[in-house]
Amino acid sequence: MNSEHSDGLAHFAVTIISKDRPGIVADTTEVLYRLGCNIADSSCTMLGGDFAMILIISHEKPFTKARLSDEFRALHERTGLVVHLRSLHEDELIKQPDDGELCLISVYGSDQPGIVYRVTRLLADKSVNITDLNTRLIGTKEEPVYVLMLEAILPAGMTVAATSEMLEPIRRELNVEIGVRAITPVSL
Amino acid sequence: MPAQKILTFPHPILKKRAHRVERLDESIRGLIEDLIDTMREGPGSVGVAAPQIGVSLAVCVIDVSGSRHGKDNNHGLLAMVNPEIVAREGAAVMREGCMSVPDYTGDVERATGITVSYLDEAGVERRIDASGFEAVAIQHELDHLDGILFLDRIVSLKTGLFRRKSYK
Repeated sequence: MNSEHSDGLAHFAVTIISKDRPGIVADTTEVLYRLGCNIADSSCTMLGGDFAMILIISHEKPFTKARLSDEFRALHERTGLVVHLRSLHEDELIKQPDDGELCLISVYGSDQPGIVYRVTRLLADKSVNITDLNTRLIGTKEEPVYVLMLEAILPAGMTVAATSEMLEPIRRELNVEIGVRAITPVSL
Repeated sequence: MPAQKILTFPHPILKKRAHRVERLDESIRGLIEDLIDTMREGPGSVGVAAPQIGVSLAVCVIDVSGSRHGKDNNHGLLAMVNPEIVAREGAAVMREGCMSVPDYTGDVERATGITVSYLDEAGVERRIDASGFEAVAIQHELDHLDGILFLDRIVSLKTGLFRRKSYK
């Protein structure tokens, strides 16, 4: 988030996971619009048969969490949507610097326990910061295939080749395909 | 002239089609100097189009020779007046950002090879074949001359992959 936009604002994290149907975003943002809230950042997607919304919202101070809770309770009564709400502290609004290489890591192979855990534990131990991650179970009942796609910022100085090399033991042990590609945005 | 300030959206000039240059005179050569200075000033910048510094004329400069993606395949510093893409081939997606749209990046599909015709700073007609990152940069800058931002060309939400159950 651009911190110069956040002075004098109260920030909240809002999450909603609900059985998918048309209108979930509209129902939710109508409440925010009427209250005068800003949607500072958001990511919303279909997960299985549910729709998941994660929003960072802000409102000019003074503004209370109780006020939001009341409105979301009314939303729940009208639409059945269950909203989880949390106040954000100042230090949660500051984006970490991202000087290292941004890469996409693709992992796929026969479904088995531990694919996500093994890969992400290794990345965490090497200070690789995941910025986006999604997974999906594909293939057939007889031959289920697991796909993990993530984007991560490498620590300064770590190369894509070194990252790929570092994942080699997991590649071998789990017998999965692992690709690492640089996707650092180009500035034009 | 020193480097100019890069205008950012929503400045209206960025969404306007730039005028063709009718006479390539000293003022245009001065504009090219400004564009080069501005490009050199921008961190990692590989191109600037005239509308980005507030001039609605079909002029841009490109130089990818100093960038890691373009250093092995480029024409050096290019100044283009009234450029036009006359042929294109291939397609590849790259995540782009733009000095006129700070704090945002997105996946954009561009031709991998292009032929561009233009006038150079001396008014001589040129035609070059560009490929790779230089081709991407040229397409991005030429879009600025048509009032098109990379936001108009984003092809996917980054999480949109692997979501479709059926394909048409």
